[in-house]
Amino acid sequence: MAILVDSKTKVMVQGITGTQASFHIQRAIKYGTNVVAGVVPNKQEDKHLGIPVFDTVREAKEKTKANASIVFVPAKFAKSAILEAIDAELELVVVITSGIPVNDMLEIRRKLQNSKTLLIGPNTPGIITPQNAYMGIFPDNIHKSGDIGIISRSSTLTYEVVLEINNAGFGESTVVGLGDDYIIGTGFVELIERFNQDKKTKAIVLIGGEGGNYEVEAAKLYKSMPHQKPVITLMLEDPLPLTRDSGVATDIICNGVTSFAERKKLMQDSGIIVVDNLSSLTKELAKL
Amino acid sequence: MDIYEYQAKKIFRDFGVSVPYGVIAYTPKEAKEAALKVSHGGPWVVKAQILAGSRDVGKFSDRRAGRRGGIRISKTIDEVYENADEMLQNMLITNQTGAKGRLVSRVYIEEYIKTTKKFYLGFVVDRITAAVVLLLTPVMAHMNDDILDMSLQNPDNILKVNLGLQRELTSAQISSVIHFMEYKGKRNHLRTFLNRLLNLFYSYDATMLEINPIGLTKDEKIWALDAKILFDQNALYRHKEIQKLIDDAGVDEREKAASKFGFQYKELNNGIGIISNGSGLAFNIINEAKKQGLDTACSLNLKGGVDRDKITASIKLIMTNPKVDGIFINILGGFLRCNLIADGIIAVANDLGLNIPLVARFEGTNKEEAINILQTSGLPLKIASDTVSGLDMLKEAIAEDL
Repeated sequence: MAILVDSKTKVMVQGITGTQASFHIQRAIKYGTNVVAGVVPNKQEDKHLGIPVFDTVREAKEKTKANASIVFVPAKFAKSAILEAIDAELELVVVITSGIPVNDMLEIRRKLQNSKTLLIGPNTPGIITPQNAYMGIFPDNIHKSGDIGIISRSSTLTYEVVLEINNAGFGESTVVGLGDDYIIGTGFVELIERFNQDKKTKAIVLIGGEGGNYEVEAAKLYKSMPHQKPVITLMLEDPLPLTRDSGVATDIICNGVTSFAERKKLMQDSGIIVVDNLSSLTKELAKL
Repeated sequence: MDIYEYQAKKIFRDFGVSVPYGVIAYTPKEAKEAALKVSHGGPWVVKAQILAGSRDVGKFSDRRAGRRGGIRISKTIDEVYENADEMLQNMLITNQTGAKGRLVSRVYIEEYIKTTKKFYLGFVVDRITAAVVLLLTPVMAHMNDDILDMSLQNPDNILKVNLGLQRELTSAQISSVIHFMEYKGKRNHLRTFLNRLLNLFYSYDATMLEINPIGLTKDEKIWALDAKILFDQNALYRHKEIQKLIDDAGVDEREKAASKFGFQYKELNNGIGIISNGSGLAFNIINEAKKQGLDTACSLNLKGGVDRDKITASIKLIMTNPKVDGIFINILGGFLRCNLIADGIIAVANDLGLNIPLVARFEGTNKEEAINILQTSGLPLKIASDTVSGLDMLKEAIAEDL
């Protein structure tokens, strides 16, 4: 068991013919990912990397029964690609692309509200169920199968956490990168619920990003959950000066959460274990 | 991405939003001429143009400017000249500029509008609910007028109207604004003012639109006395005319160079230089370094970079920074491939030499290749297996180097 992605997930790749997509998809296939289709509007070839390529998401879904898509389409064209995937009612869409305009993401979020799709990203490393399958751009030599579920706003810090967890003798059930763009498709809440229902996952690790209101939402949910699995969160204080461009000020004004210390307290009060460095994280895991 | 107030006001005017008449000036003499163009009798407002807020309550670094801030009412032409003379080529320090302040290269000379009430008005994107939110709060004279401070000090005195993705305010939303402002003027005047701003917000892919303040005159006419537009960097390709306005004067040269390559570079203090690929990863390194007593001079985030030349040019920024006494490279390659970083280090070292300690740590995509490249290079550098031990090695090497 795991969540969202395993070797049975039928994956299509939007923008499969790009250099980066080709590089990472080949590796994912080798890892065990069931890649069944590629989508490229106005396709020039019927097959790429041995995988059938289609003009539209709908056609790819009909012909191959794909239920998930990974998006590598450049930011300028990403909105159209993502809306197409949501329209085709794919269960899961993972967006690797970074730098999608805010206005485009606002439209995408609105479309998601009444859809059947779970959107992960943009600007995410993806989702990996170790030693099984992944949709993403993970370094494939670092993850190990185990019973810790990880949900993260960061990409590379997550790799660091995974290495630390593995060194301490643990492994991961599934690792989900939420993405690090200004607006993301899905926050912590939805995924905590999924991990909570997953039999393999024994504990959940959260890794926050800039601002941190997604974590605050998670704290509220966690407090209200009847059957909780232990949740540990790694919270690092931002050492760089706060800029107005980052949107953190807006988060504070609109959602009323102020300082790092206040956020930390809110997390702790909800029953979540808060740590501020990697070695404390594994120590806490060992105690569970 | 930000533009000056006078440029933003030009855009406001294009969208039919009322702004005072004004002329830009680069010298005191030009300021005097500008004032005569604006009006014959005055008074005028001399406004220092920098890309940061809270100018009114800011201070100049050079004492010749006295203790007053960067927005000054001037009653005579001579006063306009004096104020412009004091502000120009001086550094204005506000709570948004950092300790160094920002250089005032130009002043905006504006007609003075006498107002009875002032408000902060903002349109922002709330990323949690994925909606545009209108923010409104009264502004008192000479208080710290930063919206963040105001919201922390007095959270109940802010009106927040969630506009979703509406392109126009609803009747009920207009009513709530009227009620909050105790606005006595024509409903249609207020509606038009707000809807035109919202139209501007979407038309230019703004991520924030702030008017601090809007002013109400005796006859209940609404004026945008200030104008700040933040543009979405990722949407600038759709707005060529805005790209031309972006002025990065005052931005650190290295930061500018890195940003041109699509990377992120930040200066902190004196100490080690960090090259990593991810902001979370960088935070963790800075925190761990601090624990070991190592300060950080600067941090370069190569994100998911894949272009060899851009990576090399960015590594050079760190290796040539005189504040850096040791370099820590920590790459966890996923999208980014470790070997490209190793190639970059070799290229820069061959070009400039390597005369400060360097420790590298690689994990992930093409890790072995990267380590092999560095180990066979003959350069005096060390390879670490994790962050903590890598920083240990660097600390030791810096101590030996001194």
